[in-house]
Amino acid sequence: MSILINQSTRVLVQGITGSQGRFDTQYCIAYGTNIVAGVTPGRGGQEVEGIPVFNTVRNAVDETAANASVIYVPAAGIKDAVLEAVDAGIKVIVALTENVPRHDAAICVAAAHAAGAWLIGFNTNGVISPGDSKLGGIGGDRADKLYVPGRIGVCSRSGGMSAELSNALAAGGYGVSTCISMGGDPITGNVMVEYAREFETDPDTDGMLFYGEPGSENEQGLAKALQDGEITKPVVALIAGVFQENHPAGLSFGHVAAMIRSEDDSASAKQKLLKDSGAYVAYRLGEIPQLLNSAFT
Amino acid sequence: MRLTEDKVKAWLRENKFPVPEGAAVGSSSEASAIAEKLGSVVVKAIVPTGRRGKAGAVHLVDTPEQAAEAASALIGRDINGYSVKEVYVEAKFPIKTEYYLSFAFGPRAPKVVVSRHGGVEIEQVFERDPDTIVTEDIDPLIDIKPWDAINLWERAGAEGAELARLGQLTAQLYSAFRDADALMIECNPIAVDVDGRLSLVGAMMEIDDNAMFRHEDWSSEGYSFGAEGRILNEREIAVMHANEMLPGGALRYTELDGNIGILMGGGGASLLQHDMIIDFGGRLANHTDFSPAPSIDKPLAVLKAILENPNTKSLLLSFNYLQLLPCNILVGALCEALRQRDIDTTIFPIVVRVFGPGEDEARTMVKEFTGVRYMPPKTSLDEAVKLIVNLTNEAVAGRSIS
Repeated sequence: MSILINQSTRVLVQGITGSQGRFDTQYCIAYGTNIVAGVTPGRGGQEVEGIPVFNTVRNAVDETAANASVIYVPAAGIKDAVLEAVDAGIKVIVALTENVPRHDAAICVAAAHAAGAWLIGFNTNGVISPGDSKLGGIGGDRADKLYVPGRIGVCSRSGGMSAELSNALAAGGYGVSTCISMGGDPITGNVMVEYAREFETDPDTDGMLFYGEPGSENEQGLAKALQDGEITKPVVALIAGVFQENHPAGLSFGHVAAMIRSEDDSASAKQKLLKDSGAYVAYRLGEIPQLLNSAFT
Repeated sequence: MRLTEDKVKAWLRENKFPVPEGAAVGSSSEASAIAEKLGSVVVKAIVPTGRRGKAGAVHLVDTPEQAAEAASALIGRDINGYSVKEVYVEAKFPIKTEYYLSFAFGPRAPKVVVSRHGGVEIEQVFERDPDTIVTEDIDPLIDIKPWDAINLWERAGAEGAELARLGQLTAQLYSAFRDADALMIECNPIAVDVDGRLSLVGAMMEIDDNAMFRHEDWSSEGYSFGAEGRILNEREIAVMHANEMLPGGALRYTELDGNIGILMGGGGASLLQHDMIIDFGGRLANHTDFSPAPSIDKPLAVLKAILENPNTKSLLLSFNYLQLLPCNILVGALCEALRQRDIDTTIFPIVVRVFGPGEDEARTMVKEFTGVRYMPPKTSLDEAVKLIVNLTNEAVAGRSIS
């Protein structure tokens, strides 16, 4: 059905008593997500939306066997929140916080890798396996309309764009196996090619769609996996931010990550590299279904 | 945030790193007084830019009179686009050998770069003598241990008594780099004198703007940059402050040299629509990146800035399906900004493409402003972008739009 999450995933929400955590949790439960616990230090013993709240992730895991966590914690507390989840043995962590200090992000990523945990984010709006479950705010209260179930894996550097991509797929008769907003901050826990590998081995995914931006080395890693024959399912990619090349290097636009550091990580260089590596490159949302059609014929 | 040399040196000194004695001064008489005390000095313009030597902003002098002359030649001058208000007067360090050391961020982890060739641009060393450069990722769970740093320097070709000192300095500086939430520190050169004493003669540093909550003391120290490497203008600074002070999602605003003002939601959709506007032949007056949240304050702050920009000749308000920020709040901010700036919407084109909760009320609100185009439901990004480009061209050509 999907990668990373499904209905048997046991989800805890760090920061469940905050307005955003509470808001998203309602919609996740309504969508079918198996939310088993919340964590807010000092609020242990209470309930939010019928979900028991614990003081620590360790307590929540001991009591509920939670194995995934969604984190609603401001930037100042995100490092401790991620490390606490890793320490408690959580294997899928969704960190929604944006503009995370770079040193904190690097420490979280290193700790998650050392423990063999997936870290989705930073600056993500979540992950959804349409018709099954979702973590985070992705799709809001209209997830069933915005994300049609299907067989295309979607991975986006931008949260908002993940809905646009899924819309574009639906318009062309395609649906989504799993859609991941992988995070838009400069450092993310896992990178594009790691999601591509998951889609490659997922029997319910036939092709993949990626949205990228200038900066970072995500697309370079994906291109290499295509060249090496590691990824064989069709890959469609849309890379925005070509306009930045009209401006001198060092400009910060869009997501903080969208920062040109070298010719190599500009949008047009990524488009070319992916095309040369065998990906189908879309320049408009409307082209995505046509490219998939040609890939599948 | 980039720090100027005087701030970096003060920070290094506070943290017990060896730096030449020196001070920032704003007049030639003060420069002369410092030189009196220090002897031979280097007088450098304090501007937030590299390559000062090439720009003639660094003077080596031997007497207080020469120091005064150098200071008066530099103060008030324009260096790489920055007006010089102060100079840094620093004791000349008797250099025997020069090394290079920097910390910065790679895609996932901090990186260290060392070279036994300091005092020249590292790119040049990379071209001529790449074997003297050693680069390595740093595991942030381990940091750099002095013995690992010694190994780096050994591989870069350093030797003798300096090896241990360089190793220790590197480990200590990494800790300071981490504790300061720096994104980059470049020491070029680390100088060594005949007695083997080290000194951080050249030092540049950039601090993580996202970590300011831990470093309130830094916030007034440095320079933040907008497009094309220039210092932020008053409207950009106003939005930056609004972003820090007001509730709601992250907000960024950068002015460009075109005439179409834009407020778009979501970083990705902003990039995509920006590309499309250029493709359709438009030019943007600004770029914005805004994570919508249920509050009128931030949209109002950025809309005011957009409308105050004298280059703005039109406005596109276009978001992904709104979830957290109801349409009536966002469009309410637009109406308020239009009223405050007294914009004549019969000659100033505005295209609105915002859908979601509060949409009906939002559509009613804009009716008071003749000429505002609120796009029908399901209008694509392309259509809204095309329309604003066309309307802007017509408005600039002096034709009425209503």
